[in-house]
Amino acid sequence: MTAAERIEELREEALSAVASAGSTSDLESVRVRYLGRSAELTEIKKSIRDLPPEDRKAVGGASNKATKEIEGALHERLESVAATEREERLRAEAVDVTLPGTPYLKGSLHPSLRVIDEVVDFFVGLGYRVAEGPEVETDYYNFTALNIPPGHPARGMQDTFFLDEGLVLRTHTSPVQIRTMLSQEPPVYVVCPGRTYRRDSDPTHTPMFNQIEGLAVDKGLTLGHLKGTLAAMARHVFGEDVKVRLRPSYFQFVEPGVELDVSCFRCGGSDPNCKVCRGAGWIEMLGAGMVDPAVLTEVGYDPEEYTGFAFGMGPDRMAMVRYGIPDLRLFFEGDLRFLHQF
Amino acid sequence: MRVPLSWLREYVDFDLSADELSDLFSLRSQEVDGLDRLGVLDGEVVVGEVVEFGQHPNADRLNVAKVDLGGQEVQIVAGAPNPYSGARVPIVLPGSTLADGRKLKKAKLRGMESFGMMMSERELGISNEHTGILLLDESYEVGRPVSDYFPVGDTVLELDVNPNRPDLWGMIGVARELAAILKTTFRIPEPRFEVNGEPTSAYILRVEAPDLCPRYDLRRVSHVRPGERAPLEMRRRVHAAGMRPINAIVDATNYVMIETGQPIHAFDAHQVRDGIVVRRAHPGEEMTMLDGQTRQLDEEMLVIADEERGLVVAGVMGAETAEVDDETTDVLVEVATFNGRNIMETSQRLGLRTDASGRFERGLDPEMVAYAMERVTGLLAWNTGGCPAPNTLSHYPEPVAPWQVPLRLARAELLLGMPVEEGEAAERLELLGCKVGREDGCLLADVPTFRRDLGREADLIEEVGRLIGLENVPARLPGVPLPGGLTPNQKKLRSLRRLLADLGLAEAVTYPFGPDRWIEDLGLDDDGRRALKLRNPLSAEAGNLRPALLPGLLDAAARNRSFGARGGALFEVGHVFEPQEQPEGMREYALRYRLSGEIGLDAEMPAELLTGVVEKGKVAGVLAGNVRPPGWNIPAITAGFFEAKGLVERLVPGAVFEPRPRPFLHPGRAAAVLLDGAEAGWAGELHPDVAARFGLEGWPVAAFELDLGSTEPDPLMRFEPFYNVPAVSMDLAVVVNTDVRVGEMLEAVASLGSPILADARVFDVYEGAQVPSGQKSVALNFTFQAAQTLTDAEVKAELDRISEQLREAFGAEVRGT
Ligand SMILES: [Zn+2]
Repeated sequence: MTAAERIEELREEALSAVASAGSTSDLESVRVRYLGRSAELTEIKKSIRDLPPEDRKAVGGASNKATKEIEGALHERLESVAATEREERLRAEAVDVTLPGTPYLKGSLHPSLRVIDEVVDFFVGLGYRVAEGPEVETDYYNFTALNIPPGHPARGMQDTFFLDEGLVLRTHTSPVQIRTMLSQEPPVYVVCPGRTYRRDSDPTHTPMFNQIEGLAVDKGLTLGHLKGTLAAMARHVFGEDVKVRLRPSYFQFVEPGVELDVSCFRCGGSDPNCKVCRGAGWIEMLGAGMVDPAVLTEVGYDPEEYTGFAFGMGPDRMAMVRYGIPDLRLFFEGDLRFLHQF
Repeated sequence: MRVPLSWLREYVDFDLSADELSDLFSLRSQEVDGLDRLGVLDGEVVVGEVVEFGQHPNADRLNVAKVDLGGQEVQIVAGAPNPYSGARVPIVLPGSTLADGRKLKKAKLRGMESFGMMMSERELGISNEHTGILLLDESYEVGRPVSDYFPVGDTVLELDVNPNRPDLWGMIGVARELAAILKTTFRIPEPRFEVNGEPTSAYILRVEAPDLCPRYDLRRVSHVRPGERAPLEMRRRVHAAGMRPINAIVDATNYVMIETGQPIHAFDAHQVRDGIVVRRAHPGEEMTMLDGQTRQLDEEMLVIADEERGLVVAGVMGAETAEVDDETTDVLVEVATFNGRNIMETSQRLGLRTDASGRFERGLDPEMVAYAMERVTGLLAWNTGGCPAPNTLSHYPEPVAPWQVPLRLARAELLLGMPVEEGEAAERLELLGCKVGREDGCLLADVPTFRRDLGREADLIEEVGRLIGLENVPARLPGVPLPGGLTPNQKKLRSLRRLLADLGLAEAVTYPFGPDRWIEDLGLDDDGRRALKLRNPLSAEAGNLRPALLPGLLDAAARNRSFGARGGALFEVGHVFEPQEQPEGMREYALRYRLSGEIGLDAEMPAELLTGVVEKGKVAGVLAGNVRPPGWNIPAITAGFFEAKGLVERLVPGAVFEPRPRPFLHPGRAAAVLLDGAEAGWAGELHPDVAARFGLEGWPVAAFELDLGSTEPDPLMRFEPFYNVPAVSMDLAVVVNTDVRVGEMLEAVASLGSPILADARVFDVYEGAQVPSGQKSVALNFTFQAAQTLTDAEVKAELDRISEQLREAFGAEVRGT
């Protein structure tokens, strides 16, 4: 057999091996076998210089041509086999997308504090600042300075926790208002959120609860400013459509004293079985009033020059209404089944 | 205050439905708690005469009556056995609706037709009596509507009266209020009786404690028919107003109390020795009261006594000694006012609050005494045949008189924010009982004595405002002349809470008071710390103020466990409380600070010394059990020291952790958190014994508690330059003795101040077969980077410097090279 015939044979053999190779690794062995360092075709090429000169050109040309042809076929085949293999691999890598995702930890913020933050943000937007104070208060700041002197019946109404003589757990955040007024001159625009305590425990009362009080003292403030401010607050918290109304009420440190009702944001008064307002159409939201002149005098403000309004609301109750929470006690049990809902 | 509307109509005319009246009262005066309906709401009740009464043929417990309704005879089946042939009874006709919602129909009961129903007192709203049918006397004409004699149904307005308005605890006051709202008039019944009884002056009256008793009036009504019942309509009204009818004498006193708001006491005159003495209790005096309990009195309590014994704790409750009963024929009537504060304190000390004490507490009008006395005398004469004495003994040394309060209209308009017309304001005040004069731009109101709450201009402005209607106040927003905003600390607190929530912790708010166990189980009592105590805790389980947030969160974790949680992560931001030692001899000064405004905020003394309380803001977190449950693709995260530490590292950048035991922490897994050398809090794993005592037995529990001031959840950002050249990452494993602290090794590396070391990270700590015992392998990864590409030689030199530093400081042998 001549070299040229052998080359032709190898070429045909190689091309058919390429055609029948089913994987990239098969193709690699085909390449090694026919084009590798010790492949027969390579050997033939190496031995060309030993051939008689007249044969060299023909054998050289044939072997180069065969090599090119085999390389071309290999390359072509490799692309198609690789593509198939990649597709197969990706198919094999498919996951069940309905399996749950990796569980990142889920934290939460307390519902009452969410309401507090929101109310505080509203007042900060109006130009108020936030004032804070101690929870163990003196008798003077908690009562006397607020127009509730010793022996006043209003002291009996608020079931107070007592510590050492003259110290109580604050029954409201109002002492913070007193501390604020004593520490600065008017105008005053502050809100005072915080925990407060009363010695009371039943399904609708817990011995601790949150409160947000607000105080504005300036020249020319009226009950109308109180109404406008609280109406805007109610719309901010409960929605643009809610209306408010004032009813006369009584708190020792304001005069006139009022209560503010908010129209039911759920039914607007149209549903006699409404779970939010119980059919009343109105939700009692907060107590408020014009700061009593005695209180202004007590902190050294001139009640003839300055007037003011104050208000107090219960963010726990607001959270109950807003989120539909049935029982106040849930707020303070640290139960994750409750907390994780917010 | 329960206001039966049928009774209210006796004093004032109004053309309003009960619902309208209720709304009007809510918007103009006092909150209305609700409307209570009694008796027959809608329908007809007629007087019937029983013609025949006998056993139901088919039912042992039923009776059948033939009843004449005035020309029409009907058959009625009844349960009660008390009617008899000839008895007059109220019959409610079919088609009527009762207060409990029942609608009556013609019915067949066990085969017998029944037309309507014979009524008990309860069904008519007269009393709670329901054992038999109400029997009417001969004065009730057969066939006539019962409502010709008394209302067969009533609606009661339940007023929630504010504490400053004791005048509204009487029907007359409510009538005056309604008249003022409606701009109409009201009437007060005029007492009329003959004076024909034995003189009161057979008894003495001596008030030995005038400071506690501004007024005491005493009048005798003799020749009372014993055991008399009050007339049906009076009983019905007393019942509707929420009191229990007893007998004609007691009902008359209660009736007048409901009418005037003034409590009245009736003594059996025969039981009173010589007369009435109003005095303070004797030392050691005891009294067995009407509720059967014997109580120890103290010398600040006021007693109504005779010359020998105490009869009543004034304004609170009587002893059985001289109470009226069904034998009483001679009555001494007391109408008095007492010092409200004294009554309140007495009732608090005795633990006994009564309807009367609640009224006296508020301070009643002594001027009401005379009318109430006349009124009750008249009713006793009328209802019991009693003969009023010609004279009343009266102690009233300092009569009160109306006082004048000026009202400037401009001031009213300023406070209310709406126009107020002079005529309108004057009319409203007059309707409330003031006499109003005028003086340039100013009204001068003489305030009646029953409105002690109207002492100042602002009080009058409130009255005018609410009667005009608060819905007329226009809503405005003030122009706040200040920039609002949160302080840096308040902003920080927000970020802190948000960060912890984002890191997966649930925010809890727990009670700051707890049991002794809190302190004992945490071992804090051994730590030389005491907890502040509440003087009047709700229970023994809630007597200590928390010195730390930890115990409340541990209780919450245990609670979650008991409801099936596998673990969880909670945090709380709140105050903790610790006692502050007070210097000798400053007690009195401290009390003045606490009780009076004389010593203000700017006192030189820090507030803690004056209150003896240190109150601090803290943040704490508790990780218990599985903080994150395992997923199908990842393992669980379990609570451990490094979970807690990782959180603290986020909250307190730059914190240094130093081993420091605490009684409640695992001794080998407890660290103090130091910031700039000062202790900012702690982090650690809970001691397993402590975990067990808190109901977390067998669970890993890690926690931290930090001063709020030390946290920096949102540190100031500052740009650090970086280079766009490749970084070189090199690992270095060294073997050191096990007691060498890795933190110190990292510090030692940092102290080299390498200009090209960008990051150092611990990626493995190993003890075991591969290293000699007593030693551990610590694997570190270093990232080197500089402005120019680093050469291998530069990196190698720096790594050698680090190895050398570790060898020198810790004897570290480089491993595997
Ligand atoms: Zn509703």
